[in-house]
Amino acid sequence: MTPRLAIGLNALGLLAICIVLLFAFSDQLVYGDLPCPLCILQRAGLIAAGFGLALNMRFGPRPSHYGLMIIGALAAGIVARRQVLLHIVPGTGSYGDVFFGLHFYTWMVIVSTLIILGTAGMLLFDRQFTDESGQKPLAGWILASFGLFGFLALANGVSTVLECAGGLCPDDPTGYLLLQ
Amino acid sequence: MMSIPFFLFAGALAAVYGGRRNLAIGLWALSVAVMLILFRLHATDQLNIGL
Repeated sequence: MTPRLAIGLNALGLLAICIVLLFAFSDQLVYGDLPCPLCILQRAGLIAAGFGLALNMRFGPRPSHYGLMIIGALAAGIVARRQVLLHIVPGTGSYGDVFFGLHFYTWMVIVSTLIILGTAGMLLFDRQFTDESGQKPLAGWILASFGLFGFLALANGVSTVLECAGGLCPDDPTGYLLLQ
Repeated sequence: MMSIPFFLFAGALAAVYGGRRNLAIGLWALSVAVMLILFRLHATDQLNIGL
């Protein structure tokens, strides 16, 4: 796999993460399904994983960037697993909407596992690491996916400020604290 | 407080765009650390499961 192809695949992966974040955001904005604290931390973990892809796109593929991806996906997965375990016993309730029969936190367990699997798959291709020419210019759709990802990181920060103000978020949020 | 990781990630991405790799990774590590601290603060209930 050439470095150029690897960067393209990384940009595709970043777009996929953006789609997941956009889906969660649309559920929040359109259906009023406010994210709980653990949901917010899962979004943060997803952004932490996507950061490794952004590094690969800007500085060229490196094993260390893939390592950051795995750490980020593990963090998101740990938070999601905690939330699954909170509700795994029948009759203990659930949180938020359902998508194809699974709650969003269950999907996050699947997504984080897929990210780790995909990262492991990318690490199998050594030839992508041969180009040591340094920084790559971001242009075209690769720049667009990078920009969208940055916008979503910032938008999640603003949304969290509106929902939780300056402190810890309520466990069962009913509205935006700063808009009440 | 829970918005801190997102703003740190946004800062880290700005550093990536600006070509400051070490600064970007430093901000990323800081935001992951903050995220894990926030997780610890929220994961207080004992899980009602047998392992």
